[in-house]
Amino acid sequence: MKIMQSSGVPIYQQIADNFKGDILEGRLKQGEYLPSIRGLAKDLKISVITTLKAYEMLEQEGLVTAVQGKGYYVNAQDTQMLMEQHRRKVEEAFLNAIYSAKLAGMTREELVETLETLLRLEEM
Amino acid sequence: MEFNSAIEGKNILKKYKNFTLDIGELKIPQGFATALIGENGAGKTTLLDILAGTNLEYKGELTFFGKYDDKDREKNPDVKNNIGYTGTGDYFFPRWTLKQVEELQELLFDGFDKNRYRELLKELAIVSGKAFEDSKKISNLSDGNKIKLMLAGVLARDTKLLLLDEPASPLDPLMRDKLCNMLRDYLAENEGEKTVVFSTHNITDMESITDYVIIVEQGRIVEQGFVEDLKEKYIVVKGEKKDESFASRIISNLSSSSYGFEGICLSEDLDKLSGLDIAVERPTLSQISVHVMKQYSALAMVDNREKTA
Repeated sequence: MKIMQSSGVPIYQQIADNFKGDILEGRLKQGEYLPSIRGLAKDLKISVITTLKAYEMLEQEGLVTAVQGKGYYVNAQDTQMLMEQHRRKVEEAFLNAIYSAKLAGMTREELVETLETLLRLEEM
Repeated sequence: MEFNSAIEGKNILKKYKNFTLDIGELKIPQGFATALIGENGAGKTTLLDILAGTNLEYKGELTFFGKYDDKDREKNPDVKNNIGYTGTGDYFFPRWTLKQVEELQELLFDGFDKNRYRELLKELAIVSGKAFEDSKKISNLSDGNKIKLMLAGVLARDTKLLLLDEPASPLDPLMRDKLCNMLRDYLAENEGEKTVVFSTHNITDMESITDYVIIVEQGRIVEQGFVEDLKEKYIVVKGEKKDESFASRIISNLSSSSYGFEGICLSEDLDKLSGLDIAVERPTLSQISVHVMKQYSALAMVDNREKTA
């Protein structure tokens, strides 16, 4: 797990996103436990409360369940539904981009080109 | 967030000639690292001394680990053995040798692990690779090494609570990093059982280990909470020169430059700035602390002025 201290994304968010990815893509399976809160804090050299906050976020999203004294285990996931939710988020972001592009007077070609450039940059 | 307290305090009062420590309610969350932050003379050391029992002249109630009071701390070995304290002064007699210091700690505390102690001394580079210099005197150690010796002493014991007064101050950046790692190891040892309390001026260096913050000013607690909650309670606002005078009504201690302004306000007050061309950012613990400290320093100045007027 790579944690960026000054990426602008809060660290707890980065941790939550990482585990979310692991869960959605099946690297963390149903019933498996997340690393212990203080163990992870130690490994990532971050505070306990930041780790706890990340785990609480995952719990709120229904991805994991907390068991007193034992930690957090991965719930059974309706992966189909979660993927669908993810897709909807992507569509939403695209719609926003299209709207802004219209405001800026960008052509369809320019917009597509921007997306392709960004994709290439991501791959680098 | 709900939590168990490693220490609870009620109406702690300690009066000096020109200073009063007055803590209505104190709760140190168990299983976390708590930072005591405040200006010089704000009362951090006084509070830690009271918690550690090195200062017994105070009023108020203290509860340790949910069931022991401060008399137990003096008498009951279960409490005494479970608390490790390091101060800023000369804790060990200057003329003692390292050997004597080791023997003393073995005598004083059950659960002092001599092998672990020697490992820690090595790790902290007091005896850098060389044989343990038994005959070296405390007075010949640097300030940094003195604190390291104390830290090794408390970390070599089987404790549940560490009270550390300015542990990072005399340490160089490398050692501060090591200290943070050692404290994280300590907290992880028995998931959720062990607690660390430390005072510090080096907020930035210690931010990555701080879970809970208590800001003390003029002998009182002026702000406290879990760091992640405080980072949502406050927000950094940056804006253009043209909006500065309006913004200054909402943002106290706004700092201004020829390019614009910057300051911290409560997140709930952000609505009042709507319509302005501003950018916002999550604050660091250091920014929050400075903001809170400035506010209360300023208030104190007004108070004093009123008193003298």
